[in-house]
Amino acid sequence: MSAKARARKEILMGNQALGRGLVENGVAVMTAYPGTPSSEILPAVVQYGAELKSPPYVEWSVNEKVAMEVALAAAYTGRRSAVAMKMVGLNVALDPVMSAAYIGVIGGMIIVSADDPGPHSSQTEQDSRLLAHFAKLPVFDPDSPAAARDLVAPAYALSERHQIPVMIRPTLRVCHGRQNLNLKAPKELGREAVFTKDPFRWAAIPKMRLALHQALNAKLAKIQAEVSASKTLNTWHAPVRPRARLGILASGVAAALARDLLAELGLPVDQGRIPFLQTSVPYPLPLGPVNQLLDSCQRVLVLEETEPVLELLAPRRERLWGRGSGHVPSAGELTPEVLGGVLERALNEARLKAPRPKGKVLSVPDQPPMRRPNLCPGCSHRAVFFSLKKGLPGGVYPSDIGCYTLGLNQGAVDTCHDMGAAVTFAHALSRSLNEGEQATPVAATIGDSTFYHSGITGLVNAVYNGARFVLVILDNETTSMTGMQPTPENGLTADGHPGHAVELRKLVEGCGVRWIDELDPYDLGETQKTLKKAWRWTQKPEGGVAVIIARHACAAHRPAEAVPAPCRVEVRGAAAPVKTSFKPKLNPCADCGRCVAICPVGALRRTGKGRIKVDKAKCTGCRLCAQVCPTGTMVLEPAGACVACGLCSTWFACPALAADSEGYISIDRDWCVDCGLCAEVCAQGAIAPMEVLS
Amino acid sequence: MSALSWQAVVAGVGGQGVLFVSRALATALEPKVKGILISEVHGMAQRGGAVVSHLKAGAYSGPLVSPGSAEMVLALDPGEAVRNLSYLAAGGWLVVNAPDLGFLSAKGKKALASFGARAVTVPASELAREAGAAKGANVVLLGAAAAAGALPVDPAEVERAITQGQPEARARANRELLALGAGAAEEA
Repeated sequence: MSAKARARKEILMGNQALGRGLVENGVAVMTAYPGTPSSEILPAVVQYGAELKSPPYVEWSVNEKVAMEVALAAAYTGRRSAVAMKMVGLNVALDPVMSAAYIGVIGGMIIVSADDPGPHSSQTEQDSRLLAHFAKLPVFDPDSPAAARDLVAPAYALSERHQIPVMIRPTLRVCHGRQNLNLKAPKELGREAVFTKDPFRWAAIPKMRLALHQALNAKLAKIQAEVSASKTLNTWHAPVRPRARLGILASGVAAALARDLLAELGLPVDQGRIPFLQTSVPYPLPLGPVNQLLDSCQRVLVLEETEPVLELLAPRRERLWGRGSGHVPSAGELTPEVLGGVLERALNEARLKAPRPKGKVLSVPDQPPMRRPNLCPGCSHRAVFFSLKKGLPGGVYPSDIGCYTLGLNQGAVDTCHDMGAAVTFAHALSRSLNEGEQATPVAATIGDSTFYHSGITGLVNAVYNGARFVLVILDNETTSMTGMQPTPENGLTADGHPGHAVELRKLVEGCGVRWIDELDPYDLGETQKTLKKAWRWTQKPEGGVAVIIARHACAAHRPAEAVPAPCRVEVRGAAAPVKTSFKPKLNPCADCGRCVAICPVGALRRTGKGRIKVDKAKCTGCRLCAQVCPTGTMVLEPAGACVACGLCSTWFACPALAADSEGYISIDRDWCVDCGLCAEVCAQGAIAPMEVLS
Repeated sequence: MSALSWQAVVAGVGGQGVLFVSRALATALEPKVKGILISEVHGMAQRGGAVVSHLKAGAYSGPLVSPGSAEMVLALDPGEAVRNLSYLAAGGWLVVNAPDLGFLSAKGKKALASFGARAVTVPASELAREAGAAKGANVVLLGAAAAAGALPVDPAEVERAITQGQPEARARANRELLALGAGAAEEA
């Protein structure tokens, strides 16, 4: 097929456009760790790379630091490389990033760090452009999928001309936007990898780093002059004119949206009423055109996401309207709603009139409640969280980043901080909480991919320092939240090149863990028993960190395997609620406190030795206390019908369990996947398996 | 190429196939317009959360629709229809997966009518389930929107967009779901 025949028009997602751009520009090595909104870039390189005779080498690295280093050293050999991650991944990679500008590259290197203003799917709203500035790396800021693709060529060119990695910073609206664009032909550069020994550069000691830093500063000055002179990296949507009351300096999606909003206000940029400079290079800021804008306008409104970067780097800040002056909000995405308000205020204060009145907006009083995301029906994480609360009641449950953060809905996720913090937080919390007599169970949950990413070091640290807690590794053999990328566990690689499996159990053993059990969390009884056993072991003199590997197929990834014995459940008709009664005279109370610890609504109180008081107003009749009572003092018979106790809704939180206005449960067949787990959750025998399905 | 410009908001809940609808609309519109921009939602929101996709066809540069600017709001869930009504342009089309406008209060219905909105309500989930394709409500609703005249393209072009490149069995099933929605829209 000729190159021309391969050029075609397609609607691509921004991440695919970036991947396409990399392949069109001869990327030879690409690494990434998945993370919304960046996850689709590497698969696009795999897809488009397959059109080449020798496709680029690609890998899902174990974490972003590793990904960064692999791509960086690949570029030392003169070949073009790229690394992609979400912006919090850039934090993980920051150590090698900081040195990358000093030491530089030979072949072009692009760092894609995808930001998430909003945030929609992230822990922070941080702006990677600030980190690029901090690390002294040039950064490009595309405003659309097409721009993201088009910036790859100048980014590689700049990178090779100045032997410095270049960052491309798309935001979520670019990554997960779609746009029609003309595809160019994929390209192979066919460069031989050559590693030229140069220890004064590749292994520079601190003394040489000073010289490298000085050279870097000179490089950046040259780059600044170049980008200042560039006609393609800076766009005058409306040219400067003398004594304009207001001008706009913008980059990224905010620049694109501002153009549309101005058109809606009857001030389309092509009429030229408001000078409008868009730059693709926030750092080093193209001072030439920026100064031209500032010279001619009384005020300049700066529009960018998410932090002030153009604003902080621009001269004459007293003329700027932006985050510093309070014209632009300092948190949150610049949606049309927000940006519309910003533009209106700026036009007003500059005494400019919008020719077209704002369109009418319909408002109705029937706004629905916010819809919380939830684990998929049939997800085994839900089973783990239920067992955790039932097996180790009153415990503290640190968790981590992934689908399973949604265990929040079940009250079984107490902390979520950064990748791997479940392990380190469990270490710290168990040490602090259990210094004296108090024995609060601490049981952490972490996903398999997150464990490989950043859990291992924390686990080694915890074992080494004598920590005592239970760690449950939720092992579904895939990275579910970000789109089912493979993990080291199964040895599958990003493009199917040969690799080797890194067995999870052996890895945990290798971290020094002496108590390991593997189980299928769909067995709720066994899971609860094991959790108790594990916690007891952690508290023994010889105890330490106990690890449970809870292994079950992901319900979204491998639905057939996830529901091994499908059965149709029904909810038996409503019965009048029955309240718990404490009958100490029948059986002697063991004073174990289990009932008090497990009561989900705090209806039980210890009033004296062997005496429990039941607050009948609070009691929902869920029967958990009766189930855990070892002596049969706490009495409550199963109702055999739904009593609207709410236990399944709050502790199991399956989207298929629909509660009516009074709290009585029915099965929503649109959601139910017939996993049958809720039948075991219901302590009334109300939710019952009716029919075993083949 | 005409100077057509058209904006829409497609809304629903994770798992309902919102993104499929906006991509199908984009494919149908692409030959007629200067540019296509879609904004999608991925990641955590897809796990049963609210999913919304903005579509801008024409000479636009930004990927998000401004309030009061969408010629159509198509919702696979009545609650999500309400949540996204602020995007509807005066006189625009509201296409909802619901038997009627019962999800709105009397006040809400009045506001919708005085806004000049044209409403199409079709119980798409029910129709899809009866046809043995529980996940096909999105295609049923798309068929209803096309038949009601809510789209700037012919129903035939929508059909082409959602059947092209698909195996014959899948294409046939989609054609049937489109027809189901079209029939329901005509009845209503």
